[in-house]
Amino acid sequence: MHISEGVLSPSVLMAGAALTTAGVAVGLKGLDHEKIPSIGILSAAFFVASLVHVPIGPSSVHLILNGLIGLILGWKAFPAILVGLALQALLFQFGGITSLGVNTLNMALPAVICYNLFGWGVRIGTRQLVFTVTAFACGFCAVLISGVLVGFSLYLTGEAFLAAAKLVVAAHFPVMLIEGGLTAACALFLRRVKPELLEGEYAAKTSSWP
Amino acid sequence: MAHLLCTALWLALCGTPAWAHKVMIFAWVEGDTVYTQSKFSGGKRAKHSSVVVYDEEGNRLLEGKTDKQGEFSFKVPKKTGLKIVLKASMGHMAEWKISAEEITAVAPVSESRSTREVGTEVAAEQAAPAIDTKTSKELTAPTGVGLSRQEVKALIDESLDRKLAPILNMLADSLDRGPRVSEVLGGIGYIFGLVGVALYFSNRRRKG
Repeated sequence: MHISEGVLSPSVLMAGAALTTAGVAVGLKGLDHEKIPSIGILSAAFFVASLVHVPIGPSSVHLILNGLIGLILGWKAFPAILVGLALQALLFQFGGITSLGVNTLNMALPAVICYNLFGWGVRIGTRQLVFTVTAFACGFCAVLISGVLVGFSLYLTGEAFLAAAKLVVAAHFPVMLIEGGLTAACALFLRRVKPELLEGEYAAKTSSWP
Repeated sequence: MAHLLCTALWLALCGTPAWAHKVMIFAWVEGDTVYTQSKFSGGKRAKHSSVVVYDEEGNRLLEGKTDKQGEFSFKVPKKTGLKIVLKASMGHMAEWKISAEEITAVAPVSESRSTREVGTEVAAEQAAPAIDTKTSKELTAPTGVGLSRQEVKALIDESLDRKLAPILNMLADSLDRGPRVSEVLGGIGYIFGLVGVALYFSNRRRKG
């Protein structure tokens, strides 16, 4: 998922950085101070999640958690993921500083998209089955869309889109299943323990696309 | 979807760690050959990844693919600093630079080592100006014993390469180190610090 430095062409990097700046601006606009701690905690979770290797077969995959972040934060996923990725680039050398914009876009945009696609289902009022299925779909599709976006970024720099996207998506297929399950489990847990964390965002949200 | 699953299965079976975070390439010179070793973080070798070699001016000299061990070697094409770029799948890239001083022998010159003609010796000298004049003077002494300076140099190079090989392998292994606990905790600390700063400013804004 983390695109290294020097892989993408400057125009793609610039476009990614510009779109990420816009996304972060939307996320920070009218930021309620009560939301700041949850952004921080999810940012920290994202930062650490990439270190959680899940051994599957002879290899291992790592978590991304962007579905869960999108579900709880909505547009505020942009600043949360930006901070997490910047620290990953600086401390772990995952990705790179110049590709930070594109990487943030590739992971935060799917979070926002899934939030708008599946957010309606993850409410306290919905039935348990609908709740679980939509939460699972949210986690699953966030990684799927991320993979497609990574493939698209590589395509813009000259790689064949279908091959690149197929490879990224296929490689992340196990992650999608795990993320879906994890997102559903987290959402169910939050519904029982701290329902206002889920509800607060939806109460504030009437028209989500600004 | 079935096709996708097949690809996923194929990827899992051949163990291509395409989902690792970063790749590394490590290169060293032995005589007239440059050896490279490529790895993903976590120690998995980067198999069948393309390696491109550039000179100092950025001209492409040659290109190849890593084998099953993630290794790739090539004869030094010319006496210049080399930039070796590894391009693994899915936007992973790494590079390693070899300075001109490290390259003491160029492939065609090394073949002329065995000949004792003075002419080729001079040619070899010119091709490899990196040899320190002081050491080459010291090496002139044993010519009386029956070995030419070039032969002694070749012998020393050879045995040094052999002796240093395990150390080079160790170096290559040590380059691959995962994130440490201190870095993880430091990152979390940064995030909490940022939360604190953000809360400070939002509180001031509310009061003001």
